[in-house]
Amino acid sequence: MSPLAPRLSPALARISRRAWIAVAVIAAVAAALALCGIGFGSTWIDPRRIVEILFGEGTRGERVVVLQLRAPRVAIAILAGGAMAVSGYLLQKVTRNELASPGVLGVIGGAGLGVVIFLALLSDESNALVTSIVWQPVAAMVGASVAIAAVFLLSGQQASSAVRLLLFGIAVGAVAKAATLILMIVGPIYRTTQASRWLAGAVNEINWGEVQVVAIGLAIAMVGVFAVARRLPPTDLDEVSARGIGLNLPVFRILVFALASALTALAVAFAGGVGFIGLMAPHLARLIVGRPVIPGIVASFLLGAIMLVGADLIVRVLFAPTEVPAGTVTAVIGTPYFLYLVLRRGSTNG
Amino acid sequence: MPLASSTTSIRADPRIGHRSLFAGLALLLLGLMYLSLALGYRLYSPEEIWTALTAFDGSETDVVIRDLRLPRALMAPMVGAALGIAGVIVQTLSRNRIASPDTLGLNAGAAFAVVMASGLFGVVSLPGLSLAAAVGALLTSFVVFGLAAAAGGISPLRIVLVGVTFAGLFDSFVNVVLTVNETMLDQLLFWLAGSFADRKLGLALNGLPFVVVGAALAASLARPLDILQTDDSTARGLGVPLGVVRGLAFLAVALLSGAAVAMAGPVMFVGLVVPHAARALVGLGHRLQIAAAAMVGALYTTLADIVARFVIYPREAPVGAVTAIVGGLLLLVLLRRRAA
Repeated sequence: MSPLAPRLSPALARISRRAWIAVAVIAAVAAALALCGIGFGSTWIDPRRIVEILFGEGTRGERVVVLQLRAPRVAIAILAGGAMAVSGYLLQKVTRNELASPGVLGVIGGAGLGVVIFLALLSDESNALVTSIVWQPVAAMVGASVAIAAVFLLSGQQASSAVRLLLFGIAVGAVAKAATLILMIVGPIYRTTQASRWLAGAVNEINWGEVQVVAIGLAIAMVGVFAVARRLPPTDLDEVSARGIGLNLPVFRILVFALASALTALAVAFAGGVGFIGLMAPHLARLIVGRPVIPGIVASFLLGAIMLVGADLIVRVLFAPTEVPAGTVTAVIGTPYFLYLVLRRGSTNG
Repeated sequence: MPLASSTTSIRADPRIGHRSLFAGLALLLLGLMYLSLALGYRLYSPEEIWTALTAFDGSETDVVIRDLRLPRALMAPMVGAALGIAGVIVQTLSRNRIASPDTLGLNAGAAFAVVMASGLFGVVSLPGLSLAAAVGALLTSFVVFGLAAAAGGISPLRIVLVGVTFAGLFDSFVNVVLTVNETMLDQLLFWLAGSFADRKLGLALNGLPFVVVGAALAASLARPLDILQTDDSTARGLGVPLGVVRGLAFLAVALLSGAAVAMAGPVMFVGLVVPHAARALVGLGHRLQIAAAAMVGALYTTLADIVARFVIYPREAPVGAVTAIVGGLLLLVLLRRRAA
């Protein structure tokens, strides 16, 4: 401990306390929105009634609607939105690039390709999977990792330019998307229509089994994230600050990339490629809670969850009864924001 | 001649042999168009093709050749030529070797306009849809270049980032329209993948005037485009009316990529790949570059269309996916070489 530490710590503690209060507020908003997400539908269910039903009351009809139809959908939106946001937080931190997100770095495209290869190879004649659905996120993870590895190996030294790195990601993503399209035609028809829906980013038609797979995977990944996050400096992660805290930067970077792809893969495997959450949620989180890393990650998760639950709610309100992918809403909101970041002068090199 | 040797032409002497180069390309194209008729799920002999085209008697073979194979053998070269020329112009206008109607979002804008026109305004006529596509491409180019100009001029890389972002936005708009209107989904899904399969001959004939007018306009702009390659102040000093030339060039691009999209849907990255090949063959002069881009583009899409029939044989892949893989890989190579 340096002699400065005791003098700094009250200030740090104050910052950290303020950050956690902000996180608590965001969590309350997220919970309220989740209840609205469950309540809204062909029939409106009062939030208080939902809480009662969740705790085992209610008629049989209500229980089916809430527990079987609506709750899984909201649950997957929370988990997928949160996972995507944390993935974006990690990628932005480790690339020191405010424009980075799973979408533009080709991670979403790679994960989608992984899932389609998995479905095409391991479905039998009657379109049933010959293996457990548990392997679907694993396939997505392999695809996502290959994609991000390709982006960084190909970009090499150019990775330090924010805009160049993104273009490498976009090119890798485009190749992955085209390969996905071809494989969707090879694959069984039933799976194809399913795949085309989730590639656009949709959270409908989810069952508890799938929620369970995502939840367990996410729990494991988040343990890794927090273990890594404790080592992340609140400042930029560059060579100097890494050496200052005794970090083997290349190894650490690979670890963070692996975690980020795993998180994106979990989200994409069941909710599809919902764009821009991984870009916007971390920005908003840093705006609200500032630099502290752990509160930043928690806030990113909650804000990502809010965004996807909210986006899903919006498409349900605007387009009911048709099921428009929730990714549309995030694209409409995210595009102007991303353009603002790109066009803002002097924001990034390249 | 030091100037001539400094062009990027890969042939020994750039002054002689353009004629034989183009004759060779034309022969190659005819060969590929013949193969486009002959190859596929079923293979046809030259006699079968000849009888189907000259003495149509309604047999299954004749129907397949005349109604399924012939339209795509004619449409693929048209679409390739259109996108190739559009790519040359866009790359010159933005002085950007990774610009193309796709990376600037023009094709996605055209596709969105087609979906809107037929979904919301009930346009069904083929000329109407082609016009909608051209308008969509033109408006998108105004928005993308306008935003870039409003930001005080941005780097070639950033303008591509803006274009790609717009393409993504248009894609999700198309998704919304198609999800809300399911009957349209059936009609348009095959078209949106970018394919020459199942197109009627009328569609090709309908796109022809757009391609011809667009190509003629592009060719007439060859001289000013040569000068525009340098920089704005040089061009102005040489008396090139920048605004007029840019406006007409955008119009040509809109007609060409609009027609291509209306015919085949978004066939990805053709406009990115072809200009590089054209420059390698004939150098930087636009008269030859545009002509070469038309030939190379026609060859490229026709070949890609044949390849698409066999990559996942017996099924057929959308040609747009095949060209997207090739183009995406080339984009990676260009970025690595820092060509942009």
